[in-house]
Amino acid sequence: MIEINNLVKRYGDKKAVRGISFTVNDDEVLGFLGPNGAGKTTTMNIITGYLSSTSGSVKVNGHDILEEPELAKKEIGYLPENPPLYTDMTVKEYLNYICDLKGVSKDKRKRQLENIVAMVKISDVYDRLIGNLSKGYKQRVGIAQALVGNPSILILDEPTVGLDPTQIIEIRRLIKSLAKSHSVIISSHILSEIQEIADRVVIINNGKIAAIDTLTDLSKRLSGQSKFLLTFAGPAKDIATKIRTINGVSAAVVRVVDSKFTQIEITVGSADTTRVRTDIFFMMASLGCPIIELRSLDPTLEEVFLSITSGKAKG
Amino acid sequence: MTAIFKREFLSFFRSPVGYVAIALFSFLSGFIFYSQFSNHIVNIGSEVISLREFFVILVPIVTMGLLSEDKKRGTDILYYTTPVSLFNVVIGKLLAAFALFAVMFINVIIHIIVTLCCGGMFGVGAIGTIIVFFFMAFMFISMGLFASAITDNQIVSAIVSFIMILVTQLLSRFGEYAGTAVTSVLSSIKVGSAVSIGNGINSIIRWFDPFLKTQDFRLGIFSVSALFFLVSIGLLFLYLTFRVLDKKRWSQS
Repeated sequence: MIEINNLVKRYGDKKAVRGISFTVNDDEVLGFLGPNGAGKTTTMNIITGYLSSTSGSVKVNGHDILEEPELAKKEIGYLPENPPLYTDMTVKEYLNYICDLKGVSKDKRKRQLENIVAMVKISDVYDRLIGNLSKGYKQRVGIAQALVGNPSILILDEPTVGLDPTQIIEIRRLIKSLAKSHSVIISSHILSEIQEIADRVVIINNGKIAAIDTLTDLSKRLSGQSKFLLTFAGPAKDIATKIRTINGVSAAVVRVVDSKFTQIEITVGSADTTRVRTDIFFMMASLGCPIIELRSLDPTLEEVFLSITSGKAKG
Repeated sequence: MTAIFKREFLSFFRSPVGYVAIALFSFLSGFIFYSQFSNHIVNIGSEVISLREFFVILVPIVTMGLLSEDKKRGTDILYYTTPVSLFNVVIGKLLAAFALFAVMFINVIIHIIVTLCCGGMFGVGAIGTIIVFFFMAFMFISMGLFASAITDNQIVSAIVSFIMILVTQLLSRFGEYAGTAVTSVLSSIKVGSAVSIGNGINSIIRWFDPFLKTQDFRLGIFSVSALFFLVSIGLLFLYLTFRVLDKKRWSQS
């Protein structure tokens, strides 16, 4: 369990983190979401003891990171954005070195490393130089490094950045399996990634917490407004005007017009999007304009912030 | 600490650094010994003293990557986020570099054995120079370690430690220049005790010269205070290195 209380980190005049407080419960996956430069990495660096906060406290399983750093650090496995890998060592040498650093005793080491290697599936590269591994394998070795010493908490800073889609899926699957026996904090700037893995989400922006929510609450907040992209063959402006007259549609903006197709982005204010979509279908049919595609657009992070902040303003 | 030591020491041999340093040292010591040997006057003491002059090249080669590479690779994060203490990190790195110098020194031991086998002399003076060699190595490695801590660029680190060691080696000459310069400036503006002020400045600067302090060792006259001086300077730089690493955590910029 991690308790973070009113964390502030100041860089000169600029405050990178301004008063963040939240708690991570045992065996929970907490998504840490925010745009680049929001303060995610700074916060994670403070939790792990890499940086010291200007004020505020971090308690890891009851141990303050500044007052009892060695006990607190034992509980944490950290995978920074750039995995701390020595490219001139083999995976085996590297993991043994990490065991030394974390003080894993010789008799426990062999079994622990065997477990970790099997878990992150790096046994086939175990004797190879880290410098020669692919990015996906390097990331796995990074995760293996975090798992050494059997910490109860894992902190993963953007673990899927720069990986190809298959690797991303594999790493996500790995994180899900780790979550069964660890508390995990995982940061990302990709909303869908967090939605897939996390139980609870902390959204930060500009060094402050914008929202702490479970995923269902978050999607409820977001469902207030949804967007669709309609691709069809036909005149752009007339159709857009007509779509705006449909009950529940709050905006219709023409996105793309070319010789064959037109794309219109439709914002629906009503919760009953199915009815709106049916209306659109019948209207287009009566106008004789074939619909090529009608798909919903995932909310972007910016829209999440907008909806959260505007929701707060209303409330 | 042993973990850091082991990794750093082995990493000298995973890159060219260890081999280059050992090759260079073997060449230099071999060349000096050979020229003495061919003249039939072997003096291990003067060989070791000549080798000391090459600290200015050898130490930067060995120490330049010790901490700067970690920063560049991002592996320094391990020192802050694992239970290992920064103090142990600094000591481990120092010992690794020191051990490499000990390995290089095997050359000289071979020369000693050859000398003794051929009925040559290996007296207390030579032992004195060897003691000074290792104390000086400690001091200069600490300087190099500090130079490596303040940057993430190996070249910059090498240049900084090169300059620090060069200045140390030329300290007594600087003292003379500074003394003479002060004397001539003061006498031109008609200050009475110009010469004694100049001499004073000269002797103050020369007091810091570790080579002058330890020059009697070759005669077999050992001075604990001189060794204490070398150790103190070394510890000072170790402490500064530790502070530089620790400061990073608290940095506000």
